[in-house]
Amino acid sequence: MEIIIEEISHGHKLLGRHKFASSNITIGRGYDNDIIISDPHVCADHLQLHFNGEHWLVNDQGSINGSYLEDSKENVIQHQVRSGDIITIGKSQVRFVFPSHPVEVSIAISPFESLINLARHPVALALSMSLFALIAGWIINLNNANEVSLTQMLVPTIGLTLGFALWPAGIALVSHLTKHDARFWTQMGISFIFFNLMWLSDIFENIVHFNTSSNFSMVWTISIIPLLLAFCLFWLNCYVGFHMTLRRRNLVSLSLIVLLFGGSFLIQMSKQPEFNPRPQFDTTIMSPAFLFAPSSNVESFVSDSTKLFEKVSKQAEEDNKD
Amino acid sequence: MKVIFALLLICFSTLSNAVEQAEEIFKQLAPSLYQIRLIDKASGEKSSIGSGFQISSDGLIATNYHVISGFARHPHKYTIEYLDNQGNKAALTLKSVDVINDLAIVQREVSTAMPFFNIAKQAPTKGEELYSLGNPHDLGMIVVPGTYNGLKNESFNDRIHFTGSVNSGMSGGPVVNKNTEVVGINVATSGNQIGFLVPHDKLLSLYLNYKKSPPATIEQQMAAQLMQNQNKLISTIMDSDWQLKQLGRGLIPTIDVPFVRCWGESNSDKSDAQIMAAVANCDLDENTYISSDFFTGSLEMEYRYMESDKIGSTKFYHIFERQLNQVAPGNQAGKDDVTEYQCHHDIVMPETSNIKNKAVFCTRAYKDFPDLYDVLYIGISVDHEQYALLSHFTISGVAQETSLAFLAKFMESVSWK
Repeated sequence: MEIIIEEISHGHKLLGRHKFASSNITIGRGYDNDIIISDPHVCADHLQLHFNGEHWLVNDQGSINGSYLEDSKENVIQHQVRSGDIITIGKSQVRFVFPSHPVEVSIAISPFESLINLARHPVALALSMSLFALIAGWIINLNNANEVSLTQMLVPTIGLTLGFALWPAGIALVSHLTKHDARFWTQMGISFIFFNLMWLSDIFENIVHFNTSSNFSMVWTISIIPLLLAFCLFWLNCYVGFHMTLRRRNLVSLSLIVLLFGGSFLIQMSKQPEFNPRPQFDTTIMSPAFLFAPSSNVESFVSDSTKLFEKVSKQAEEDNKD
Repeated sequence: MKVIFALLLICFSTLSNAVEQAEEIFKQLAPSLYQIRLIDKASGEKSSIGSGFQISSDGLIATNYHVISGFARHPHKYTIEYLDNQGNKAALTLKSVDVINDLAIVQREVSTAMPFFNIAKQAPTKGEELYSLGNPHDLGMIVVPGTYNGLKNESFNDRIHFTGSVNSGMSGGPVVNKNTEVVGINVATSGNQIGFLVPHDKLLSLYLNYKKSPPATIEQQMAAQLMQNQNKLISTIMDSDWQLKQLGRGLIPTIDVPFVRCWGESNSDKSDAQIMAAVANCDLDENTYISSDFFTGSLEMEYRYMESDKIGSTKFYHIFERQLNQVAPGNQAGKDDVTEYQCHHDIVMPETSNIKNKAVFCTRAYKDFPDLYDVLYIGISVDHEQYALLSHFTISGVAQETSLAFLAKFMESVSWK
């Protein structure tokens, strides 16, 4: 009976696959073996497989480091192979599979996949990257109180764009290193589309802050948007770069969000002084072109301010109790 | 030659006359003069010093509030003691304070009736020779001759302008006329022969009030005084003339009273500036000392006009926004004195005016003085592409009602021309 032997890494990634029709197979470091493993912890003649007409039997050849069935401490001697068995030899692993071994159902190529590939299209890619650079340049100009010339703006803009390109590049590198398809340009396309969406959500958030008074207590919901966008970005990065289950992909994206936003939140909290003598309020002001909200009158503003006195008086009472 | 000689002679004789008089006054009054010391209980050392003088035969001593403020705020941390001209030391008890006029009355124990200073019945006349007594920098009791120059004009609470050296440590010491009657109490200096005194009538009314009904607690007394003073101050300001002045294209209110002074600055000399800016601010020239890190009773108004035809509207407002991060309270106060600020913001257009502001109002409460607050308002106009006006005020130590009345009047007074 035929047998398939897979050389696998410790993370169970496939390194090589061999199919044999003979009834005797040897594995070892020596060049006379059927499968040659160049791991210094493997002996020249390490493992032998034999088909006795009914079963495959695997046998350690008296190696120094032994051969073990995964999760077992016992040396393999005349072990009857079952399909899917993994045996550790030295620091390497081999997996035995019979031709009849079941495979998972095939996944249909979703229209989603072609949508993702759209991001890789040169026109889409060039568009999203140049839009990013444009917004970056605009923001650099806004933050500079002095007059900024085009050449002065060019260097930081390119720098910022390249800096942001490190993220998709890094992911592509990791997926390449873990024996996945790198798909560099797809990662680039997706990431820059989401970076642009984040700029837009930022502007949107500012407009909302500018147009709402502190009476509008739902304003915090706006800050969920960047969280959602970041989740989508990480999720897609995982989808493109790695083969993983949906559950795992959700988990990885969620942990990245917690790490990133939770971390920066913690840093902010740790910098918070025990007592802040300065008033904290929403400072957003924008050009009148972005003002859509109707304005209130002085009476209503004064009556809203009345509530503050109750709040701070209560605070003072509580502090005095402590 | 004869004339010069005669002049010199006159000068000499008046000079020697003044010195003799000062010596005489000092000799007479020395037993009723004290150095007042605040002793830190934990370390047993003095943490601040000032001067004081006896005002009754049964041992009441007048000094400045700021000399004993440490004890008034933290009675468990300090004790007050005196040092008399014989070098005797003993403890004092705090009886009454006037935090607005920076006065305090403390008491020593006496076995027999003692000599004391008489408080004058009348204010001195301008140019009258006065003698300030005190213990500057712990150097020993001295007498400094000087001149009465009337009441300080820019002061809401009366202060005497005294031409003579008042140094730190002399705080709380008496200033007497030739008849050795107290006409003022040393309180502050502005350097170079400019000293300020609390007028005698403030001490007299504090003394008489104490005799009539001693305060229940010092803290309650202070709270009542702060409340009364803010009421008097804000109602005086509300009732006085609010003049509208032009700043850029805006009209801003300034208050026409001598104790609120205004200053201005602009960058109109810099022709290459991206934004033309003009600033005007008005403030009260005094505040109330509560402790070395807690002041109140200040009032400040600031206006900032910015205009630019060189940059876009978005950038203009973006730069303006950054100035809002610098907003700070007008008075110093710490965690034990006040709560943190609570703020409210909205887009506001007064019905009577043509300006649309993003308005922010913040307040914090005093922990030890109920119903007193620090308040702060900022309005930034957001109705024109290329120019904007910021109007701002802070008042410390005000009641809710007075501050809201001020807020409404202030908001309605700012407008475009």
